[in-house]
Order: sequence, then structure tokens, then C-alpha cells
Amino acid sequence: MSIQRIKAILLQELYITRHSLEVLMDLFYFSIVNIIVFGFVSIYLAGSNNPLAAHYILLGMILWEIIRVTQYSISVGSLWNIWSRNLSNMFVTPLDLKEYMAAAMLAGAVKTIIILVLIGTISHFIFNFNILNLGILNLFLFFINLTIFAWSVGIIILGIIFRYGTRIQALAWGIIFIFQPLTAVFFPVSILPKFMQWIAYSFPPTYIFEAARLNISNQSTDWQYIYIAFAENIFYFILALIFFNVMFNKSKETGQFARNEG
Amino acid sequence: MNKVLEVKNLTKKYDRFTAVDDISFFVNEGEAVGFLGPNGAGKTTTIQILLGITSPTAGTIKFFGKDFSRHKKESLQRINFASAFNTLQGRISVWENLLVYAHLYRVKNPKEKIMEFINYFEGEALLKQRYWDLSAGQKTKINLIKSLINDPEIILMDEPTASLDPDVVDKTLSFIEELKKSRKITLLYTSHNMDEITRVCDKIIFLDHGKIVAQDTPLNLTKQIKTSTLKLTFDGKEEEMEKYLKSQKLKYEFLNKYTVKIAIEEKLIPSVIFGISKTALWITDIEVQKPTLEDFFLHIVRGKNYVNSKN
Repeated sequence: MSIQRIKAILLQELYITRHSLEVLMDLFYFSIVNIIVFGFVSIYLAGSNNPLAAHYILLGMILWEIIRVTQYSISVGSLWNIWSRNLSNMFVTPLDLKEYMAAAMLAGAVKTIIILVLIGTISHFIFNFNILNLGILNLFLFFINLTIFAWSVGIIILGIIFRYGTRIQALAWGIIFIFQPLTAVFFPVSILPKFMQWIAYSFPPTYIFEAARLNISNQSTDWQYIYIAFAENIFYFILALIFFNVMFNKSKETGQFARNEG
Repeated sequence: MNKVLEVKNLTKKYDRFTAVDDISFFVNEGEAVGFLGPNGAGKTTTIQILLGITSPTAGTIKFFGKDFSRHKKESLQRINFASAFNTLQGRISVWENLLVYAHLYRVKNPKEKIMEFINYFEGEALLKQRYWDLSAGQKTKINLIKSLINDPEIILMDEPTASLDPDVVDKTLSFIEELKKSRKITLLYTSHNMDEITRVCDKIIFLDHGKIVAQDTPLNLTKQIKTSTLKLTFDGKEEEMEKYLKSQKLKYEFLNKYTVKIAIEEKLIPSVIFGISKTALWITDIEVQKPTLEDFFLHIVRGKNYVNSKN
């Protein structure tokens, strides 16, 4: 692995982000609008004698952005190069998949931290909800778990894009939202029908959102939930890497990778 | 002479379709080799396999004497690529693009290196421009600068002048010729354009339906076409000329009442002219058109019965 090549991809990410209104909109604008809307909903709910639900909503929104922004960054980052017909150009340099993925994951994490700080600040000063009340260690563990899950989803979507081209590019923006109801982002898992609860518990973010809600309700940390989330995350991450590798090789076999263009 | 690239029994199949069919060739150091062939001949697929972005079904590739599949990174560090079909990142500036590529190739002193080429190709005014905003000719220039950024020993060029106007094509070719001379770079160059190939390449590999059907110097390939075109302008009756040509069993075509185009082996030209001079016809102008690479191309594409048909 070459640090300089990882730096090259990070530099490109920085330049694209700086020059693209679309990226700034998708990342910053939507995150800020979401936190403002959900902030006011939480104020309304708090006024209706349901302060806990109000906090759940705002907490869910902030933590959800970790998943959305990280996954978006990984999947859409490659699309910018496919649309510019530059992706295969990059892969005829000594750049390898490990370096590319490492850079994409790092870029996703950096963008997420920036947005987390931004929306955390808005939430604290405008809506009187401090995400740091979770505790630094807990917040760190939640962040790591949600980031790994987002990486896994991003990598799987990237594999599908590499394999089938831009005709399925809408997945890069859309598919992540299926996990909002499935991982009980804004409400306790118990609200879901029984069969959906089983599905929910097969995804690591469910445990993290449950643990975060518990944490905010009675200031306790459910370590078991965090361990299970970690274990599931490791499983999904390995699965995502294997899937991506299979898709990438298949893409080179069918000639799709070389044809990938906007 | 050192072999920079050696390809043995390379095959690429897509289900039942064979895009590249058991081809073998080599490229020596400092040589410019042209890949010529009609659409779908397998030129681009071969280049993609050589760059590692499409996997082969069978065969081996060696760059600098080392197996490409096992020394991919090492080989790609010494190779570069330019094509009209692959562009750089459109949203960012030329400078930013070149900086990204310099880092991808781990170029020492990347800024100095970029400026060296930018100054050489007088591209300073383009540096701050967004790549998308460049004209086709400017993009080609920047693509070529990108293809030099790692001081490659071999550049694979896939139709680098496609969709450019003749003036830009000429400038680009001059630049490539200059590169060959000044840096002694090895080139593998694909194109449909015969003149380009003749101008740039020392050797031609002719592909058709995925197979190599000929490989030689441009001159030797044209020599394989035995028939030249003899264009005669004459004074006299058209019927008499036709009668004579039929008696000699020659293939011909009248361009007008006094001009005829004859497909003929070069060595037979004197005897035909001598034969005509014995008739009542008076030859007023003689023009011999030797076969070109284009004739060879059409000969391959249209089959053995092709006769040069240029006016």
C-alpha cells in the first residue's frame, strides 16, 4: 500500500468536493435541513409531553447521518470518475483496489466527522440537544459501528456499479434509506411487527440505535448490544469485501469495467 | 534489441464471441508499433487487456521481460496510456488532475515535473481551467502530458486523435513524432487512420476479427498488393481502347470518354503502354498510382478480390 497513492485519491476527493455544488448540497445542505426539520419536530413532540420521543428523533437523525454520508461518499465518489470517463484511467496507474478502497473509506469518515460536528453544534445551540451527552466513549463506539456498516453498504453498491455500470447508479443515493425503517432509526425496535424485528436485529445499526436510546434514557451503556453490533459488522464488512472482489473481477472479465463511462 | 512487450497466444472470449483470437506479437524498445484494423477487429480489447482493466481468457503478457499478471504494479509504473475515449476528471482543473496523477505514479517533485511538461508544450494558460472547459485539442494535449508524467518507457495510445480536426491531428502527430525522437519512447498505437499509422509507426500489426492477419513495416505491407492503378488519358476512340484492354484481359474503368483507370501489376505497365502505342490511340497523359496502406487495409477487409479503386 502506498500512502502517496491514497493521498492522490484523497486529494481528488477534496478537489471534486470543493468544485461541485452537487456534493456540497448532498452532504451539507441535506444534513443541515434534516437536522433543522427534525429539531423542530422534536420541539413539537417535547411540547406534547413526550420529551423522550423528541430526543429519540433528534438522536436518530444525527446518528443516521453517519451512515448516509459515509455510504454516499464511497458510492458516489466513484461515480464522479465514471461520469468523467476517468475511472479506468486511474486503474491503469499502479493504483490498486486496497489503496482505492482505503482512500474512499477514509474520505467518507472525514466528511462524516465534519458533518457530525456541524449538525451536533446546530442541535446543541438551536434545539438544546447535546450529542456529547451520550459520553465520548459511547459516541466513539457508535460512530465506529455505524461507519463500518456504511462502508459495507457503500462497498457492496460500488461493486454493483463496477459490475453493471451506471444504469443502476440510482442505488448509490437511494438504497441506504431502506435501512431507516429496518434498523429502527427513530423508534424502538419493539414498535416493529415481530417478523421485522427479526430482520432488524440482523443489521448492526439496530443494536447501536437501541443502545443509544437506552444510553440517553438512563445513562447506561448496553455493552452486549455494542459487542453484537461489532460482531455483525465484522461479518458484513468481510462479506462486502468478498462481494466487491467478485464483482470487480467479473467486471474485468465481461469488459464492463473498461466500458464504464457516463 | 530488448523486448519491451511480449504477447503470447492472447485470447479474449465473451461468451460465444471471440474478440481477440490467439494473437502473439512483440514490441522492441524504441519501436512504434501500429495496431490497425476495422471496427471490432479487437484493437481496443487488446489494449485494455495489456493495461489490466480487462482480463484475458488465455495467453501471457510480459512487460520488460516480466509476467504482467504477477508484476502488475511494477509494470504499470513504467507504462502509460492515452486515449481520446478516456478523459481526465472533468470537474477539477488541469493542474489538480495532473497533480493527482503525479501522486498516483509517486512522482518525485510532482509540481516541478508537471511544470516541465506544461512549459514544454506551452500549456500554462490551461492550468487553472476546468478540464471540462477545454477544447478537444486542448484535452488531447493534456491527456498526452498526463501520459508522460511518470517518464514511461512505453505508451499505449488508443486512437488518441479520434474526433479531432485535421489541424489538431497534425499538431498531435508532430508532437508524438517529437516524443519518439527526443525521448526514445516505445509506442503501441491504434488507429483506423492509415496516414497516421504510416506517419508514426515503424511496424504494423494488422488485426481482423480478432486475429493478426499481417505484421510488417508499412512499406512491406503495401508491397503485398501487387496491383497498381494506371490512369491513362488518350486521344482516340473509347471503343478501340476498350477492345485493346479486353484483349489483354485487364480490369479497367472509364472515368470519361478519354480517361481510363486500369488495375495492373507494376511490371506489366511498360508492355501495356507499348501495346497501346501500336494502336491508333494516342496517349496524352500517364499516371501511376502505387498501392498504399489503405489499399492493403481494404484488401484485408473486403477480401482478396479487392482492386485499388482510387481515382
